[in-house]
Amino acid sequence: MDLLQNLYMGFSVSLTPINILYCLAGCFFGQIVGVLPGIGAPTAVALLLPLTFSINPTSAIIMFAGIYYGVAYGGTITSVLINVPGESSTVMTCLDGYQMALKGRAGAALSVAVIGSWIAGTISVAILMCFAPALARFALRFGPAEFFGLAFMSFGLLTVFGAEEPIKTIISTLIGLLIATIGLDVVSGMPRFAFGIPQLLGGFDFIVIICGIFGLAEVFNSIEEPEEGQLLKEKMRLRDLFLTKAEWIASRWAIIRGGIIGFLTGIIPAGGITTASFLAYLAEKRFSKHPERFGTGAIEGVASPEAANNAASISGFAPLLALGIPGSPTTAVMLAGFMMWGIRPGPLLFQTKPDLVWGLISSKFIGNLILLLMNIFLIPLFVMILRVPYTILMCFIVIFAAVGAYTVNNNFFDVWMMLGFGVLGYVMKKLKYPIVPLVLALVLGNLAENSIRQALTISGGSYAIFFTRPISALFIISGILAYLTPVIRWGVKGLQRPKVDIASKPGYKP
Amino acid sequence: MRLADLIGGAVVLLLGLAVIYFSSQLEYHSEFGPGPGFLPLWVGISITVFATVLIFNIVRKHEKVGAFLKPRTREGFKLLLIIIATFLLLPLLGFSIGFGLFAGGTMRIMGRHGWIVCVLTAIGIAIGIRYVFGYWLGIPLPTGVVGW
Repeated sequence: MDLLQNLYMGFSVSLTPINILYCLAGCFFGQIVGVLPGIGAPTAVALLLPLTFSINPTSAIIMFAGIYYGVAYGGTITSVLINVPGESSTVMTCLDGYQMALKGRAGAALSVAVIGSWIAGTISVAILMCFAPALARFALRFGPAEFFGLAFMSFGLLTVFGAEEPIKTIISTLIGLLIATIGLDVVSGMPRFAFGIPQLLGGFDFIVIICGIFGLAEVFNSIEEPEEGQLLKEKMRLRDLFLTKAEWIASRWAIIRGGIIGFLTGIIPAGGITTASFLAYLAEKRFSKHPERFGTGAIEGVASPEAANNAASISGFAPLLALGIPGSPTTAVMLAGFMMWGIRPGPLLFQTKPDLVWGLISSKFIGNLILLLMNIFLIPLFVMILRVPYTILMCFIVIFAAVGAYTVNNNFFDVWMMLGFGVLGYVMKKLKYPIVPLVLALVLGNLAENSIRQALTISGGSYAIFFTRPISALFIISGILAYLTPVIRWGVKGLQRPKVDIASKPGYKP
Repeated sequence: MRLADLIGGAVVLLLGLAVIYFSSQLEYHSEFGPGPGFLPLWVGISITVFATVLIFNIVRKHEKVGAFLKPRTREGFKLLLIIIATFLLLPLLGFSIGFGLFAGGTMRIMGRHGWIVCVLTAIGIAIGIRYVFGYWLGIPLPTGVVGW
């Protein structure tokens, strides 16, 4: 009953004309960002964040949520039509989506992606409605030890989901933690790593860092390695968008499975929408009766990852709202937005700001519907956007990043720092140091440090506190296992390596 | 790339050592528990350890990876110089004119667009910044010597 009341309250917030307008703007902008290669959801949210100082936080967060799941829809268009993923979360869609397009079924590929995203997204919102409040109630039991354990586990999971080089992932996380410690220590008031520079006493503002490390760095990387693809010349008619009966039968359960995988991946800290689509594709291929069809234009290969990335983009809000822990770079940037508006996400948010939480959750139903309609009727418009020269887009990104950095404290120091972080992000990406762990560690750094210090103060300096409290112990042990995953993988690989038969080697003498 | 990776690893190692040095000057323990130097010290130690392992791995493996400098790296460097020049001129020109010139110049130098397109873009961006940020969003941006 509570749920229905809360949902009613949420719709009374999200259905106001101004919030519908922000939701529409977010979905539209997200769709454009998804279509344009070289700019992703975190960059878009980061660049727009400083411009929302004067907007009502509920409206702003509804718009950002629209951008987040709008991007997942938009990236599909380029994946299918030019074999270039507009977003990393639509990489898997290229495999079968483009093949379908080559066979003249581009319309069906886009349709199944939209319908799948809509179904999985709607299911995901419904589960989120029940799950997030329960998670928040559970998290009310958390003390400093549990919060530190949660942050520790989140960092550990980055190495699992992270990249090909776990050591670089860990180093990136540590650099994020290091940057988070710069400035005045909140407990003692002592300056740390400020080196007498007054602007550093307050630490680096998160917006300055993300405008540089996502916005500017992405520009440098895109100039160096432009993503080019050939747009299919074939014209798409409305009837091409309809699925055949066989296509629908093949994709319906793939959508449901993808949605479930996406939801579960999204709620894991560091899971993210890219991992969700990747796992969904692999699962679909593994359980298919005809795995050989994957990669040649199997409609399930489009339906499942698309459903998964949308479901994950919605369920990713569960850890953010209920625990204050972002599950992905975009939700990390949104967390910075919450802080900018003076709101602290976490277990108490459902009690202190129910209108914001339920307004946001209910807006996702509206946003998904908007995106469904937008994708049916506006695909030609989004295809046209693909023809915008990158030089123009690049200028806009630089301008937004500079204005965003300047508006934080109204000084040029931040603009230069933003440039510095842009160069850092560019070099890191070139050397294959992942950026996401740095950003997540930066956001969670203060929480992790304050929690460990509070926990050790409570325990009189004994580290046993992290293992004697069951929830904390669970998080810490999971974190340790996550950190050890690369070592375990390495060991398993070593055992599986075929043993060389020395006796068969030429010149062998017993 | 291997050399770049090695240099990257060495920079991270130096960073770790510097963090250990500077955080050892902060209090590790305070009256109530861990002090301001507690986390930075452990972060510094961890960075140093992992950077050492990383360098060891790079030296041990002899993998051939892609080049650090690519054919279009020069373009990125060109943009960086344009951005630096723009940022240096911003206090003098203000955001509207400064970024208008930046957009027009970038399109001319990097996009090889025609003069008319570049000039029109520069004017459009300058007016856009003034009205969108200054009036519509109410963000006070520096105006420079021209007062615009």
